Amino acid sequence: MSEPLISVKDLTIRFRTDEGLVTAVENVTFDINPGEVMGLVGESGSGKSVTAKALMRLNAGNTRYDPKSRIILNLPDGPVDVFSLKRDAELRVVRGGAVSMIFQEPMASFAPAISVGKQMIEQLLIHTDLSKAAARDLSIEMLDRVGIPDAARRFDQYAFEFSGGMRQRAMIAMALSTRPRLLIADEPTTALDVTIQAQVIDLMKDLVSEFGMAILFITHDLGVIAQTADKVAVMYLGRIVEKGTVRQVIRDPQHPYTRGLLSALPKLEDLEAKLTPVPGDIPSPLDRPAGCVFQTRCPVAIPGRCDRDVPDDTNLSGGRSVACHVVADSVKQGMT
Amino acid sequence: MSQFIQFAMTRAFLALITLLTVSLIVFTLMELVPGTCAERYLAFKNTQGSQITIADIKAEERRLGLDRPFVERWVKWVGNVFIHGEFGDSCILRLNINQLLADKFWISLGICMAALILSYAIAVPIGIISASSNNAFVNNSLRFVSYLGLALPNFLLALIIMLFSTVFFGDSLTGLFSKEYRDAAWSMAKFGDFLSHAWLPVFILGWSATAFALQTVRALMLDEIGKLYVTAASARGVSGARLLWRYPAKHSLGPVINSLGFDLNRIFNELPIVALILTLTEAGALLFESLARSNDQQLAGAIIFLLTASIVALNFFTDILLALIDPRVRRGMMG
Repeated sequence: MSEPLISVKDLTIRFRTDEGLVTAVENVTFDINPGEVMGLVGESGSGKSVTAKALMRLNAGNTRYDPKSRIILNLPDGPVDVFSLKRDAELRVVRGGAVSMIFQEPMASFAPAISVGKQMIEQLLIHTDLSKAAARDLSIEMLDRVGIPDAARRFDQYAFEFSGGMRQRAMIAMALSTRPRLLIADEPTTALDVTIQAQVIDLMKDLVSEFGMAILFITHDLGVIAQTADKVAVMYLGRIVEKGTVRQVIRDPQHPYTRGLLSALPKLEDLEAKLTPVPGDIPSPLDRPAGCVFQTRCPVAIPGRCDRDVPDDTNLSGGRSVACHVVADSVKQGMT
Repeated sequence: MSQFIQFAMTRAFLALITLLTVSLIVFTLMELVPGTCAERYLAFKNTQGSQITIADIKAEERRLGLDRPFVERWVKWVGNVFIHGEFGDSCILRLNINQLLADKFWISLGICMAALILSYAIAVPIGIISASSNNAFVNNSLRFVSYLGLALPNFLLALIIMLFSTVFFGDSLTGLFSKEYRDAAWSMAKFGDFLSHAWLPVFILGWSATAFALQTVRALMLDEIGKLYVTAASARGVSGARLLWRYPAKHSLGPVINSLGFDLNRIFNELPIVALILTLTEAGALLFESLARSNDQQLAGAIIFLLTASIVALNFFTDILLALIDPRVRRGMMG
């Protein structure tokens, strides 16, 4: 198989706070291949946004990346070690160059007093050799491509003059205008109406195949993942507890947390069925549980083991892996 | 563009309406002072020993036009002010108010404006840079200096500076002009002499205004820097000075510009105390004098009107400036 586009290995992120070092992400490892859509699922506070921002080195000044952490971006002109980038000019490759990001709130991610067009041109002038006029033409073309009517007129308007769906489209147009290899979408549809959500997701799927780029799709919504992603990683309290293809994970979840998430979803075919929420709350990152991060809420936790040993990834068939002692035991039993 | 001119015209028209309203209020207040100009003048004459009768008062009232209805007198006053820039005679001093005020008002306004400009010229760049810097030493020393500026009363600062200057240089730094220029006509030399004196009140008034503005700018900047659009811009590769000035700095200036008119008023209110200590002859002191001591309604009204007019003018100017930098304001006002 060819090289992955981006390879994240043992990513551990801590924040220095007044209460001491707080671990937000621990030993996160995943690859995304060119043209692949990977979903990153988890509750708020699970570290998915922090992980995404690490790919662009956008986390705040009090962030400490563990020295073991590796993020390698394989570009046509050679691999880029994201943590070795120092100066602003070097960082541009992961900031709008080969990697672009769209955010949850399109309204808040446009500067309110600068026109949408000016912000688009600015980005193109930073990353390409285009002239201002060419950048303008390309930007209008991109706005047109994402389905913004009367793009040339809209180009000179401000974000507050756009509707919610239009803003997110413009955000996508802006993110894609530099033809990035990887698009990070941080809950891009959460703030939108359901009908607009579907439109935006369809648009993103179209653009992925057209531009041949990979997407890291961050969401807490497993339904959205089922529609869009090829593979999925489930995060809980800074760790990836289960990853595999969307079909594997959604049809046959192995980790107790993934199972809990799926049974908490309403089912259209059986509206009478009771929803089973995952019991308890996600613990504060300030006191991470010892052993398995999920043991405080796990219905099948083994006392004396799950609260002591951190489970290793157990590799299952089809490239899937699950970090759970119970799953590891049943696999071992199956082998003997 | 034509839309913008239309907007500016609308604003100017509104400013004019505001001024007319202000003039009505000021004129009414002048009228509310017990006793008319005629009564007060003749009462003053009485103390000088001359006998006066009711008939004298009536005659004087007629001479001053005080027997005419209120609205007619207001229209006449406003007309003179707006068309000729003429405020009439002072009630007590019997002197033309324009001559009496002469340069004093413009000097006062100039000192206040200079203090205002000085404070913003310092506070805006320093506030922006300090909000974006993580240097604890720089930030703490800035905070110290500006809290000192906020906490130290102006009169105390003025007294301290005078004391130092008298002890070490033998010059109390008082007044606005050297003796030889005091009654001279305006010339380059007189202007230079004025500047060599005026820096002190400007500095004293400017310090606390700077401290205040600095805290405002810093707080607004910290607020803007944390916003998502700044992260989004840096995710697009915008960095360094461009990121700082084009994104959070530009967006934090709106409320700062909005507060200019308010600040001018505050500085003007502080001027008389400083002026008293530095023995400056300026309009604020004259206002107190005419209000508190001699009850000179015509003179007080003229000064209050001029001050309000300056603030209305400044607000008009900041409205235009705000519309220039913020499209939301532009759209909101133009519809």
